[in-house]
Order: sequence, then C-alpha cells, then structure tokens
Amino acid sequence: MGESNEDIDQMFSNLLGEMDLLTQSLGVDTVPPPEPKPPRAEFNYSVGFKDLNESLNALEDQDLDALMADLVADIREAEQRTIQAQKESSQSRPHSASLDVPSFSGAASLGYTANVAAPIISQYEDDLPPPPADPMLDLPLPPPAPEPLSQEEKEAQAKADKIKLALEKLKEAKVKKLVVKVHMNDNSTKSLMVDERQLARDVLDNLFEKTHCDCNVDWCLYEIYPELQIERFFEDHENVVEVLSDWTRDTENKVLFLEKEEKYAVFKNPQNFYLDNRGKKESKETNEKMNAKNKESLLEESFCGTSIIVPELEGALYLKEDGKKSWKRRYFLLRASGIYYVPKGKTKTSRDLACFIQFENVNIYYGIQCKMKYKAPTDYCFVLKHPQIQKESQYIKYLCCDDARMLNQWVTGIRIAKYGKTLYDSYQRAMARAGLASRWTNLGTVNAAPPAPFSTGVKTGTTQANGQIPQAAHSMSTILGEAQRHVETTKDKKSGLSNHDPGAPRAQPLPKSSLPPPPPVRRSSEVGCGSPGTPPKVKGAAAGFPTPPHDLLPPPPPPPPLEDYELPPPPPDLSDAPPGFVPPPPPPSFAGDAGSSLPPPPPPPALAPEAVKPTPVVVKRPPAPPKRQANPGPPGGGGGEQDFMSDLMKALQKKRSNMP
Amino acid sequence: MAGMKTATGDYIDSSWELRVFVGEEDPEAESVTLRVTGESHIGGVLLKIVEEIKRKQDWSDHAIWWEQKRQWLLQTHWTLDKYGILAAPRLFFGPQHRPVILRLPNRRALRLRASFSQPLFQAVAAICRLLSIRHPEEVSLLRAPERKARKKKEKEPEEEAYDLTKVVLAGGVAPVSFRGMPAHFSDSAQTEACYHMLSRPLAPPDPLLLQRLPRPSSLLDKTQLHSRWLDSSRCLMQQGVKAGDALWLRFKYYSFLDLDPKTDPVRLTQLYEQARWDLLLEEIDCTEEEMMVFAALQYHINKLSQSGEADDPPGADPGLDDLDAALSSLEVKLEGSAPTDVLDSLTTIPELKDHLRIFRPRKLTLKGYRQHWVVFKETTLSYYKSQDEAPGDPIQQLNLKGCEVIPDVNVSGQKFCIKLLVPSPEGMSEIYLRCQDEQQYARWMAGCRLASKGRTMADSSYSSEVQAILAFLSLQRTGGGGSGNHPQGPDASAEGLNPYGLVAPRFQRKFKAKQLTPRILEAHQNVAQLSLSEAQLRFIQAWQSLPDFGISYVVVRFKGSRKDEILGIANNRLIRIDLAVGDVVKTWRFSNMRQWNVNWDIRQVAIEFDEHINVAFSCVSASCRIVHEYIGGYIFLSTRERARGEELDEDLFLQLTGGHEAF
Repeated sequence: MGESNEDIDQMFSNLLGEMDLLTQSLGVDTVPPPEPKPPRAEFNYSVGFKDLNESLNALEDQDLDALMADLVADIREAEQRTIQAQKESSQSRPHSASLDVPSFSGAASLGYTANVAAPIISQYEDDLPPPPADPMLDLPLPPPAPEPLSQEEKEAQAKADKIKLALEKLKEAKVKKLVVKVHMNDNSTKSLMVDERQLARDVLDNLFEKTHCDCNVDWCLYEIYPELQIERFFEDHENVVEVLSDWTRDTENKVLFLEKEEKYAVFKNPQNFYLDNRGKKESKETNEKMNAKNKESLLEESFCGTSIIVPELEGALYLKEDGKKSWKRRYFLLRASGIYYVPKGKTKTSRDLACFIQFENVNIYYGIQCKMKYKAPTDYCFVLKHPQIQKESQYIKYLCCDDARMLNQWVTGIRIAKYGKTLYDSYQRAMARAGLASRWTNLGTVNAAPPAPFSTGVKTGTTQANGQIPQAAHSMSTILGEAQRHVETTKDKKSGLSNHDPGAPRAQPLPKSSLPPPPPVRRSSEVGCGSPGTPPKVKGAAAGFPTPPHDLLPPPPPPPPLEDYELPPPPPDLSDAPPGFVPPPPPPSFAGDAGSSLPPPPPPPALAPEAVKPTPVVVKRPPAPPKRQANPGPPGGGGGEQDFMSDLMKALQKKRSNMP
Repeated sequence: MAGMKTATGDYIDSSWELRVFVGEEDPEAESVTLRVTGESHIGGVLLKIVEEIKRKQDWSDHAIWWEQKRQWLLQTHWTLDKYGILAAPRLFFGPQHRPVILRLPNRRALRLRASFSQPLFQAVAAICRLLSIRHPEEVSLLRAPERKARKKKEKEPEEEAYDLTKVVLAGGVAPVSFRGMPAHFSDSAQTEACYHMLSRPLAPPDPLLLQRLPRPSSLLDKTQLHSRWLDSSRCLMQQGVKAGDALWLRFKYYSFLDLDPKTDPVRLTQLYEQARWDLLLEEIDCTEEEMMVFAALQYHINKLSQSGEADDPPGADPGLDDLDAALSSLEVKLEGSAPTDVLDSLTTIPELKDHLRIFRPRKLTLKGYRQHWVVFKETTLSYYKSQDEAPGDPIQQLNLKGCEVIPDVNVSGQKFCIKLLVPSPEGMSEIYLRCQDEQQYARWMAGCRLASKGRTMADSSYSSEVQAILAFLSLQRTGGGGSGNHPQGPDASAEGLNPYGLVAPRFQRKFKAKQLTPRILEAHQNVAQLSLSEAQLRFIQAWQSLPDFGISYVVVRFKGSRKDEILGIANNRLIRIDLAVGDVVKTWRFSNMRQWNVNWDIRQVAIEFDEHINVAFSCVSASCRIVHEYIGGYIFLSTRERARGEELDEDLFLQLTGGHEAF
C-alpha cells in the first residue's frame, strides 16, 4: 500500500501540473466577466435549467433510469475511447500521464454529459481526480500497468504532441448535453437528455420510444416563443442543442412534442404546392385526385434533379413596417435565392425585383395572434428572424397572408428554398421510421398491449411527481424562472459556495458521511441493487455532497428517491474500502484548489471550466409549492443541487451495481 | 452484268448510262460514267466508280448522294430500281464525313468531321463521343445565325479554330483515359490544348465585346434562337448544311441526367459555359442578388481555372500519417464546437490586436469613428478605450458567430471598412470597423468571416481567405475603379479582372465597377472554399433554380385566338405566355398529357391532356417540327430516369421526335 501511495502521490503531482497548465490558460479565458452580454457559453446552461427543476422532480423512475442509462453509456463510451487513446500512446507514455488522462476523461465526459445537470456532476467530477481516482480506475479500465513508469519519462516528453493528441481526443469525449423538458400534447412533460450531436430526428426517435405513439411523420419538435408569439417546428435535420443554445436564460420558450401536418404536407400532396393553381381555388379539388404515381414523379422532378425546384409562389402580402404597427401591402415573389418584392411602379420581371430577404441567416416561424398584438390584417402571419434574436427587434420581419392556404404555401415554399433537398431526405427518413413503427404494431398485436398501459403509467407518474396537478408544474416553473433570474445575479456568490461545499466534506472521512446506503436504496423497485462493491466513483461523488440534512427536501417526500439521502447510516461493508484510498496528505491540498475547481489561481470564477459553461448550482428546487415560496434563491440552490445530485448518484449507483 | 452489247455496239440489256460526280456537291467536279441496269446493286455501282476513278485512296467513307431526292444511297444491297433511280439523276460520290466548324457553348470554334449521312441524332452522338460529353441526347446543333451584323462592323480578327479533324475515334469502344484525358486527345500538343479548352472554363469575356453582342430585348427575341435547331432525324446533308459550315453545339434539353464532375469534365464545363453566356447575354433574367452570386462564382471558377489547380480533394493524399489524419479529422469534428473549451488553450489560437477606428451607428448620435484598441480572439471581438486598459473590461464584447459581415471598401478612396451585423437576443447590433490599409483589412476581414461561421483564425482556410481578399482588392484597383463607366478595354483583363466581364451588361450600366466589386466580394465569401467542379456545379444549380430556367420560347397562335402568343416549352410543362406582357396564362404539364399530334400540312400541333383538355396551336416563329421535337424529346428524356444505365434507346427517341419524314 505504501508503495502504491507513493505512486499515487507522483501521479497526483503530475496531474496537478497538468491541471495547472490547463487552468492557467483557462484563467485568461474566463477572467473577462461576462458583463452585459453573457457569453454564449452561458446560454447553454440556461436552457435546460428550468427544465431540470421540474424535470427532476417530475422524473419518474423510468425517466431517471433512462437518463442514467444515457449517462452510463456515455461514461462507458468515453472510457473506451480513452482506453483506446491510451493504447495508442501507452508505449511511450509515462504512467502518470496515462493515468491522469483516463481519470480526467471519465470525469470530464460525465461532466459534460449533463451539462444542464452539470453543476453537480462537474463538481463531483472534480472530486474524482484526487486519490480515490486510483481505485476507481480499476473499475472502468484495466489498470494502466505501472511498470513502464519512470524509465520512459524522457521519451514521453518527446512525445508531448502525442499527449496533446490524447487530450484532443478527450475534447471529443466531452459532449455537451442538455436535459430538455418536452411538453406533450396532454399537458404532461418528459425530460430527456439531448446531446449536442443529436438532430431533431434523433430526439424524435427517442420520444417515440418513450411515448409509444404511432410514430407517423407529422410528429415534430415544436418550439414556441411566448414572448414574441412565434413558433415553428424543428426541421428533422436541425441540431437541437444548437437551437436551444440561442435561448436566453430567463426564456419562457418551450419545446413541444406534437403532430403538425404542415410539416411534410408538401411531400404528401406535392400538387398543392407545385401545380399551377394560381388564383383558382377550385383547382384544389382536381388536384386531390392526383394518384400516387403522379405524386411520386412530381416529387422526383422537384427534389431529385441536379437542383431542387422551389414552388412558384407570388402574391400580395402585408409587411409590417419596422417598429410600427402598420402594415403595407406589397407584391412578393419567392425565388430560390430569397424573397423579393416588386418596387413601386415596376413590373415583376426578374430585373426589376428588389430583394426583401435571403434565407441564409433567418428561420421561419408562424406568428401567433399577430392580429391582436400587432394589428395585423389577418392572423395568418409568418415571421422571419435570425435564430439568435430572442426579443422584439426591428430585425424581425413580419408578413401577413390573406388566408391559411397562402400562409401554408409561403412557409413551405420558404422552407424548401432554405433547406432544399435535405427536407425531402428528412421526410423519407421519417417515412421509413413510421413504416417501421407501423410494421411493429402490426406484427405484434400481442405486443401492442403492453405499451399502452405502460405509457399511461408514465403519464400518471409524471403528474404525480409534479404534485398531482399538471398545472402546478407550470406555474411553479414561472416562479422558479424568476427565482432563477434572481439567482443568476448572485451567481458569483453561489459559485463560491459550491467551491466550499465539496472541499469541506472531503477533509472529513468522506465516503461514509453521506453515502447512500446501497441496500435500502429507494423502494428500489426494478433493480436488485445495493451490491456491496459500490463503485468508488459514486463514493467520491457522494462525498462531494456534504450535508444531507440541510437540504430542503420536502418532509413528506413524494418522490421516494429523495428519501435515501436522509438515511445516513453508512453501510458497514462500504466503509472497508474507502479508508484505504484516503491518503492523508494529497486530498486536502487538492481539494483546496482542484477539488473545488481546477484552477488554483483565479478564485472567483474559478469553477472548473466545464462548470463555467453551465452556471452551476441552482439546478433543482424542492417540488412542494409551499417550500418553494419559503426559500429564495441561493440557499435553495445548494439544496436543490444536492437533490439532483443524489438522484443521479443513486441511479448511477444502481446501474453500477447491476453492471459487473 | 450491266452493259452487254451486240457486235454493233448496241446494248442489248436494259442497261443505261449513269453519270456520277466525284466529290462534294460541286457541279464542276469530275465525273465518271458507268453503265448500269435497274438491277444493279448500289454496292456494285460503288465498286465500279472506284475502279473508274483509278486513284488510290481510301474510299471507305464515300457514298452516293442523290441530290434531287436529297437522299444518301446507303443501302448497298438495294438496287437502283429499289431506290427509284431512273434517268438523269444527279448523283455525287462524296465523303460521308465532312468538316464543320462547331461553335461550342463556350463560344470557341472547333473544326471537326461530322457525319453528313447519318441522322443528326447519331451524328451528334458521335461528336459528343469525340468531345467526351456524355448523354448526347441532351445536346443538339443549331444553324449559325445570319451574319448581317458583321458586315457593318470592322472585320473581326479571324479567330483560331481548334482542329480535331484529324482525330479518329475507334468506333464502339469507350474512350480510354490517358494522362487525365481521353486517349484520343493526348496524341499531340494541339489536341491536348483542345481538350484543355473543352474541359476548363474560359476567362470572362471582354466587357466591350459583351456589350456589343446581340442580346434579346424581349421575349420575342428569345424565340429567334429556337427557330434554328436542326432536325435530329435527318442528316446534315438533307438539311442543307455544307462542308465547312458553322454550326452551334448547345445543350438543347434542359434536363441534365447524372451530372458527375469526375466523369464529365467537358460536359460540366460546357454546361457551365452555356449557363454563363445565357446569363451574360441576358437570355435568362435574374435579380441583382443572384447576379452577384453568379459573378462571384465566375470569378472563383476563373481563378481556380487559371491557377491550373488540380481538382483533387485535399484529403486524398495517401501519405498522410496516422497522427495527421487523426488531427485533421479532429479538426473537422471540432469545428464549431464551443470556443471556450478548456483544452483549446493547448492549441494556440491566433488573435488579432490592433488600433482600429470603430463606429457604432445609433439614433441621435453624431459621433463618428473613434479609435479603439481592438482584440479579436477566437470568434470574439472586444474593444477597449486604449491598449492600456486591455487587461480590464472591454467597452464591448461581441461574439461574431452567426453574424453578417459586409465589406464596405473603396480602394481608390482608401476606405477599408467592415460592417458587422451581430445577432444577439435583443436584435442585431451594427458596428463598423475601419482599417488603415489593405493588409490589415484582409486579415481582419478574413477573421470576421471565419468567426461568422463559428471558426477561428486557427482554421486552415484563414490564410487562403486573406489571400482571396487581397486578390479581390487588387482586382478592384485594376478593374477600372477610376474610369467609372468605361471599362479599360481588353488589356484590363490581362492584369486584373474586370468585374464588368462577370455581369450582364445591364449591370454595367447600373453600377460602377467600384460599386460592383465589393458586392461580388461579399457574395464570394460564401463560395470561396469550393473546388473548381463544385463551383461549376453550384453555378449550374443556381442557374437551374432561376424561375425562367430551361424554357424554350416559340411564337405560336392558339386555335381560336386572334393574336400571337408565346409557347414556353420546359422539361416538364408547356406554358402559354402573353406575348406583350410576358405573364403566364396557363400551364400544362407533360405528366397529364395523353397524346400530341402534328398536322404537317397546316403546321398545327394538337395536344390532348387528361380530362379531355385539348389544345391546338400553329407555330409561327419556328416550324412545328421543332416544337414537336422539343415535346417528344422531353418525353423521351423523362423515360431515362427509369431506364438509368441502359443503352440509349435511339429508336424511341426518333419515334418520339420524328414521324414527319413522309412530308
């Protein structure tokens, strides 16, 4: 043991050196305070963060399990990757280097996994690198063979670039994730984890699995901006995290999961958009008769050529004048290159047209109740704006059509012009998915039975967790939103807080204090958890969560999971392992700087770089309404965080114990 | 055998004398006289002619042309009777392949031998095989326009024509590729040059020339071109084309199957050239914004073409070692990832720091440009009151990701401004950066552009972006910035590039060169990374996206109507257009078409669509044969999609487009 301690020491100092290096440069990055405009990085956090409040409360076991499964999978993946990376460079690499990489990466990837949920995890991650890291190592990866330790150190220096490569690979491993709360059409919500590589299509697929809906092509993710009164569906190829990253932290925007037949209407009845129905309403009937074969050839003609064909579309629309509530009627034309209008006294030949807008930098939205809000001539409005604009601005363009059909034509036309063939590809993918789903249900009439009750079970579960009444969640969310805004302002203070939190407990005999007892773990329904060999990772993390009692858990805990934290008794079997891994000298020192956050020098924003992105803390609030009023921002933040963390922890633990 | 005589010399069989001129249709040509009977086979007659001529020569390409009937006697087993040759026919024994001057879509002239005896469809297919253009069915020939304009003007310098008349292509075999070109081009330096002309886009035309060339001023003018199409079911000889005549080779049917940069360099280039000239000569109209994109693409294509840059994708180097590969793939993956990642600091990211003058337009402010210390790092721009305050808080910090970057440059006025429209949740904030000189401008501009796409200056394209901007600035300097409306003639194109050569003449009138350049530059930033073939393809796609793309206009008179109207024929529909206003009156799609008939006597085309819609019109500006062939051709082309990869069904084509031989 003594020898291994030395090893650990050395590894540790190496690790510290590495981290210093990281954090020094990082310090520079983070020093400029995010002043009037918070750097984009912060938005990332804000999105899910309200979600988390509710979502975690609302999370049902299944949800949580699913989230955890995601997390665990990610960790695995990251581990695999680092092992690989390690292998590549292991030959030449000093033991220490190879060590710190995996431990770091495991942590980092986890930290990133839950970006929104991140605060906790990232802290917990910070706890990892110190000594306990060693034991944990043997769990995820094969021990990195200490033999080649000293001899090849020089060579390792020479191969610094290889290490760099490994570090770069780590970067890959850090995939940003958001927990997104998606509103279902029955007023329930679902929380799911979306990683930054996922497209709307992937998220939909995910939702299909969770909801057992019919998977038809009309399902879409739908974003609504209550403030601007605009909404639109995500295109299947859009990157969800990217879109959500543009939302401000105090946003009221929501993501919905619903069916919109407009989404792919053009592919179901292309004739309505492509065939000459200029000025003739009655032609619609004849168009309906178009047979499948003709539709197909029309689609092929329009979307499968060297370049796609944008529907011919022109007509008078009302344009809202900048900054006024007056609307001007103009003659607009759609072309592949943008929307044009006919200037006064000119003809509509190409050479006379004036460009109104091009699509590169704008998204198209439906305007809701513009008649009321902006005195629009009709309620059939569409809106073009840069995705990053979130507030009223003269750069948002409002256009108003005479009727719903025209609106549909314009919106669809613009989408075709903007996205081109991608749209068709997405449709085909959606069709394939829908076909698959229907075959599934057809195949197993027997199978069809289980899903239904299951899904309802989910729903009731969520509502219960939300406090019986689904509305409660909403109202709460708004209040929470305010509270959070408040919290944001006191962010610095909090980050300071969180700095201390992990540090303090660790100085104590860590693992025991707050370790969730494995055996009694939450009514532990499904899983036969509680194996004695709970992974050290969990311990370390749990250790990061100092004082279980002071969190603001609702006394009559509706969500059973929380209970565990109030059960302090440390299981005896666990206590065996930890002591061995608590080397007296390093942890305090490390906990001092690296534990709280990586960088030693910059104190205030010193959170680990990952933690900088998501404004830490304040993730979760106790669900019970009365409580919510009782506690304002900051203190609640700490407690809430803990809840969430412990939830995660427990789930993680459960998973781990299941996994050999 | 024909020519049996009695002792007195009287012919006792039914033989008679047949006089055949040797050579092309030249009345002065030497002639031979043979004795033949009605039962003589053409093959035998040919043999006899050759014997009579008594000249050693390869006669294999020669055949007999019957002038009165305008017909080749190609069936060697047919008898004269069967052909109906009786007394005093004017027959010419001449070569089937004769040289013509082909005017390519890129406006270059090319001499080659075309078949004068096969139906045009086959002749064109042979030409396309020679030029290595796939899908010859999309291509056809037109008569060159009458040259009345030439006479008035000073004589054009006789331009050199590329000569491919000596090149013989082995029939039936797919051309083999050799040294990056079809083998038959690699024989001599001359043919190699010819291939380069075919497969590489040419420099922009001289703006003066552009202004002089005829442009259609109305829809009516656009119908002119289409009256000149040759008939694809008859041979050149039958259509009165003579050896040495000039013909235009053009893509006739705007339905391009399977454009592939790898296998189609010539086809792609010629298509690009045709599109470019269509736009420059205003055969097809586009908006100002679209023209700028076209101009930028032309500029870019020209630059790549001139530099002779190989079209290889950069990643194709097999010598890349693992590490490099890993890093480069990493680079790709990391693009656009959050810039504040911890480990980014390990790879140093270049930054720009300098004194720049900044102007923020606000309401109710009269402040102009103010000097600031500006730091541009990653994708973020921060500015400070002075350099000393740089470690502190900036006055403002802007993340340029997703922003709009608009150049505001006037080289002669030494004005180098960058206008930024930076999106934020509240809207767009507008800010102007004013640089001192070109160098500084190019560096900052390139940085801004990359940042707007979420990339940093560490990106590999940064330096090329800087170079592109500098090149463009120099273009503006040489491109007639001073002389305003009068471009500096042909010599200007030698040193720089005249922006007027990139846009249709109406924009020459509308904008000064120095106004044009920054707009082209602005559009250029979106295409600067494309490879040569990608850029050509993009150009073609943009051309195809124009609403008026691919419509061939013909003046017709609809049955029951009293005035002429325009019929537009596109690849999927027929369009009835008002002649005076240009408005679309009605559209019929081919997919709804039941049948079409041509009454050749009264030159009327009658079309029946689904649901008993009948349309009939007589053709005014072009013969109804051309309309008929267009419709049939498009129907034929639409069948290709299904039969992809199969041999060209020539019979079907001729069946759909022909059918009027009887007349």
